[in-house]
Amino acid sequence: MRILIVEDEKELSRSMVKYLQQENYLCDTAYSFVEAMNKVETYEYDCILLDISLPDGNGLKVLEALKNDRKTDGVIIISAKDSLDDKITGLKLGADDYLPKPFHLSELSARIEAVIRRKSFQGSNTFVVNELSFDLSARVVSVNGIPVDLTRKEYDLLLYLASSKNRVISKNAIAEKISGESADVYDNFDFIYAHIKNLKKKLTAAGCEDYIESVYGIGYKFTIR
Amino acid sequence: MKLLKKTIRRYLVYSVILLLVEIPIFYVVVQRLVLQGVDRDLMTTKELLKPKIGEAVVKNTLGQLQFADRNISISITTISRVYDSLASVEIYDSATGRKVPHRILTSSFSINGKPCVLQVKTSLLDNFSLIANIVKVQLALLVLLLLGLLLINRNLSKKIWDPFYHTLGKLQRYNIDQREELSLDQSSVKEFNDLNRSLEGLARRAQDAYISEKAFTENASHEMQSPLAVLQSKLELLMQTSPLTAEQAQLISELADAGRRMSRLNKSLVLLTKIENNQFADVGTILLRPVVLSLLQQYDMQIKEKSLDVTFEPGDDISLNADRALIEILAGNLLANAIRHNITGGKIYITIKDNCFRVCNSGSQTPLDEKKIFNRFVKGGNDNNSIGLGLAIVNTICKLYQYRLQYNFADNMHCFSIFPKDEDKV
Repeated sequence: MRILIVEDEKELSRSMVKYLQQENYLCDTAYSFVEAMNKVETYEYDCILLDISLPDGNGLKVLEALKNDRKTDGVIIISAKDSLDDKITGLKLGADDYLPKPFHLSELSARIEAVIRRKSFQGSNTFVVNELSFDLSARVVSVNGIPVDLTRKEYDLLLYLASSKNRVISKNAIAEKISGESADVYDNFDFIYAHIKNLKKKLTAAGCEDYIESVYGIGYKFTIR
Repeated sequence: MKLLKKTIRRYLVYSVILLLVEIPIFYVVVQRLVLQGVDRDLMTTKELLKPKIGEAVVKNTLGQLQFADRNISISITTISRVYDSLASVEIYDSATGRKVPHRILTSSFSINGKPCVLQVKTSLLDNFSLIANIVKVQLALLVLLLLGLLLINRNLSKKIWDPFYHTLGKLQRYNIDQREELSLDQSSVKEFNDLNRSLEGLARRAQDAYISEKAFTENASHEMQSPLAVLQSKLELLMQTSPLTAEQAQLISELADAGRRMSRLNKSLVLLTKIENNQFADVGTILLRPVVLSLLQQYDMQIKEKSLDVTFEPGDDISLNADRALIEILAGNLLANAIRHNITGGKIYITIKDNCFRVCNSGSQTPLDEKKIFNRFVKGGNDNNSIGLGLAIVNTICKLYQYRLQYNFADNMHCFSIFPKDEDKV
């Protein structure tokens, strides 16, 4: 899987490269609009991470060029502006997703995976990890073929953890994932513990191995040995 | 009091006093002047008569002389004192049956050795009616003059002050938030021109300062986003390193929390500047009740987490003319505050009725400082998680849409009420 990261903030770009390389992606970087246009014209990517505000041009132009060339690269816009207009324009132009800065790398990785999955497995929307099988369109998870009754939040949580297997996912990232914008209202993120506990209980009852482990109170990890 | 009224009132008082004082003085002065003239005439008559009387005395025809003029009488007396006396008397006139004012000169002198008394009188009736007429005409003239002056002054003042009122109107409508310049008309009056130019300069400087302050907040918060993203990403990478000790994990966790707070702060600042820049212009009609219901659903986990007792009393729904995103933020912030600053097992009352949206919550036992809570970076209590911008955002949105925002503390409940503008009522 090959990914292009268009981001002028070099340190952020490097972080993304490092994180994504550990997920076995091949990463190319472009720090400017011109560089991005060159790479987009030369190579095919499974996913392009596109920063809108580049020093020498608007990232949305790259997206426009891609769509004009009828290229099918998946595009995730990452923007510091967090403005609804940018989001709408971006999605209208054919971007697959939109992620405002600052974001969690685990979240980014989950979104990339979702985009690539959507692009490559048209029709059969399943994601399998050992005995766990996610039906992504029906939003149902099965253990050894038997569906497990999970709430919407528990399903999201499990998918999030499973799609970044063997990585520590911070409590903040989990809280933002399952409570969205309203995460700010919490005094602390202890409520995640209750969710994880319920989820683990249900999975164990369904005969699933206990993959989810806590990491010193910073977060959780979906471990596959 | 209006400026015009004030000047006109002064004029009026002055005019009335002038009229009241001037008319009697004028009357007295004219009367005196007339009397002086009459007296002079009487004396001349006397001097003219003297030789004739002398002749008559010599010829002994004094009796004939006496009948020549009813106004002249002469008699021989024994008193030989020489004197002239003038007096005003009223004499009964048989022709008109009225008393008529007269001036009488009584002169005693001796002629050819014989002392005699001469009396010459003249009617003042014509003179007095002339005076009365003169005074009347004078009065009418004065009144006309004053009225005319008042009228001219009023109109002139209105005309002269017109540019001033124009300027005033424009200043009242002027809003520093709006990007338009304050442009005031040219006036033919130099003072007003100077005033207008100074005001324009002042507005320009104020606006420059305002814009640069806003641009600073805007730029600062935008520029902060990149380093924040870097910080957060590096922390996440740090989390993935192994071996990871409990001590390191603790430090990373604390750093991540601080980073999160910083990014929340930043997001709120960006939001504030955006509201102030009026970047939420997607105005439509929004009903408040569904907004609150969906927020309650969204905050369901947090409400359960704190075992809060939420009562929602939707009366007559309020329909608002606003940007949906802003109304969601407005109601969301109030609700979030009610949850965040609540005690475990506390209460929240939400009501929509009588064109008022009210959120009440239990919490600390002391009322908040009403003057300060809506300012930026004023935190309720020592809650580390609070960034002190929630109510400032609420306040800014209320200001934008001219809603009235009110806080009060009663029965150990903190209540925030929002009264939308009347025309937004259903």
